[in-house]
Amino acid sequence: MRNFFKTVPGASLFLLFFSDPAFATQMHSGTEGVIVHQFGHLFFLFSMVVLILTITGKELNREKGWRLIQYAAFFFILWNMAAFAAHLLDNQMNTVTVSNISFSEITITAENGSRLIEIAYYLLKLDHLLCVPAIFFLYRGLCHIPVKEAS
Amino acid sequence: MTVTYLPMLLVDVAGSVTMIVFAFMSLNRASGLKEKHPENILFLYLVWICAAFTIFAVSRSFGHLLKQMLILSDNTDIWAQISPYSGSINTISFMVVGLITLFFKQSWQINTELLSSRKNLEETRVKLIDLNQTLEQKVVERTEMLTSSEHKCRRIFEQSLDTILVTDDNWRILETNPAGVDLTGYSRNKLVIGGMHMESLFADKAEWDRISRIIETKEYILNEEIEFIKPDGSVQHVILTGGIDYGAFGCERRFHFIIKNINEKKEMEKQIAQADKLAALGELSAGVAHEINNPLGIIMGHTQLILKQEAGNEFKYFEDLKTIEKHVKNCRTVVADLLAFSRKGSTEHGVMDINRIVKDVAGFVRNHSDFRDVEITLDIDGEQSLEAMGNEQELRQVFINLLINACHAVEKSGAVHISTGTDHEGRLLVHVRDNGCGIRRRDLDRIFDPFFTTKPGGQGTGLGLSVSYGIVKHFGGTITAGNRKEAGAKFTVSLPAAEKQTEAQ
Repeated sequence: MRNFFKTVPGASLFLLFFSDPAFATQMHSGTEGVIVHQFGHLFFLFSMVVLILTITGKELNREKGWRLIQYAAFFFILWNMAAFAAHLLDNQMNTVTVSNISFSEITITAENGSRLIEIAYYLLKLDHLLCVPAIFFLYRGLCHIPVKEAS
Repeated sequence: MTVTYLPMLLVDVAGSVTMIVFAFMSLNRASGLKEKHPENILFLYLVWICAAFTIFAVSRSFGHLLKQMLILSDNTDIWAQISPYSGSINTISFMVVGLITLFFKQSWQINTELLSSRKNLEETRVKLIDLNQTLEQKVVERTEMLTSSEHKCRRIFEQSLDTILVTDDNWRILETNPAGVDLTGYSRNKLVIGGMHMESLFADKAEWDRISRIIETKEYILNEEIEFIKPDGSVQHVILTGGIDYGAFGCERRFHFIIKNINEKKEMEKQIAQADKLAALGELSAGVAHEINNPLGIIMGHTQLILKQEAGNEFKYFEDLKTIEKHVKNCRTVVADLLAFSRKGSTEHGVMDINRIVKDVAGFVRNHSDFRDVEITLDIDGEQSLEAMGNEQELRQVFINLLINACHAVEKSGAVHISTGTDHEGRLLVHVRDNGCGIRRRDLDRIFDPFFTTKPGGQGTGLGLSVSYGIVKHFGGTITAGNRKEAGAKFTVSLPAAEKQTEAQ
């Protein structure tokens, strides 16, 4: 034990004054953020799938409250898919470019000129149409959670 | 493709605001549930997940609203700087949402187990309450039974007329009832607290050895007739039944006894036997006296006739005839006494004043030259006249006999005390007490037998007490003899009062 207290401070001082650069810190490029965000969406989606399966597995969907929460999870899945697709098109693959022409108009341009991609992108940008129902169902589900769960 | 921006803008703005509103409403709802049921893990989980959704909604909606505002105000470059932060916060928020969501199963499981445990706990609590109530009820019932039983046993123990006595393994008295205190004559302190030895109660130590040996061998004893000795030296006849008790746990040996007082019964039996014996002796005496009386009369007649015929002459057998006459007279006295004992003679009865007779007799004996040194004291009940029916002369003879016996017992120099009174039944009592040597126990049973005497040969005929017995009995009374606690003997003459006797007749 006495040796330990002598050795450790000595070794620490040696490393401090006589060590060379190790280059241990990894560099990150700008696309990492998008990929992390996409993984986030996938993880969110995965957790919602798990939630639906758990509710079904435990036969909680017989109760209205849990069923509504299942619907919420379902809409969040759809929203995650839509968001994932939109980010894939504009941020990740840069397939689509959006530019403001005026206050009321925008131009969506697919790199390959596909009209279908342009329409799909436009629709995908209306993702609130999926996440608002999701959060609404969550609220309604909570309103119908049977109080018996507490007893 | 050029499209109108307005729908996208409206959906984005309205959707963002709606998201925030519903997210907060959800959080509020979950918090409400949690507050109502703070012990519920599931509702806590819902609060957490709603909080995560709210953070997600706020961060996302805030980002969207800011983005629209900056784009519309032609500040896209600012948005370009903010968007990485907004996006990162947004990413973190739905990562958190996802992470919390994954714990739903575990939360549910924990909650289910908690609820189940709580239910079990509640059921157990109910059962425990029920058990407790049942137990309390049982305790109350058992206590009542025990109290009742204890009261019953205590009552039997306390109120039993027979003695109940408990000793330890070494025969030391542990407990006894009030009857035991009365029977033994010892105080409770001496018996129980003093741990008196059972042997001390026995009059005969050899008898104790025998009894204790039987109990040790057979573990019980049944209806053994023995004698106890009281602190005053008097003997108590009892029947002893007892056995060994090994206690509730079989490890504590004790002896339990039930002792029945048969003293009165024994005394009565003795008196009956005495009376029977004396009656038989009376019959015998009367027969013998009658048979002897006639020849004695003839002898006396002839002797006196010869003496009369030869009166004045020098008669050769004059002295011999005088001797015959003297002894025949003695014989006739004895015969008269025997007849008096058996009461075959007839005498006239009248009202007798007991107090006066006693005074007269006491005065007579005091003046007797032989007893001048004897202190004779009187305690006469002067408040009421003590009158009995009988022959006064005969009663005088009774008291003279008793007083002379007493004076002999004190060897002519002690004290004799005579007292009169009545008992609770109204019978007249005359006690003659002396402070002499008393009567030996073995002589008590024979003291009224004819010709029984403890005096030296030639000093007594042994007929005095038997004659007295016969006289008193003839008057409807009793005469008893005993020893005094202090010293000396005590004779008691009991006679029916004159009025009662008249009424009875």
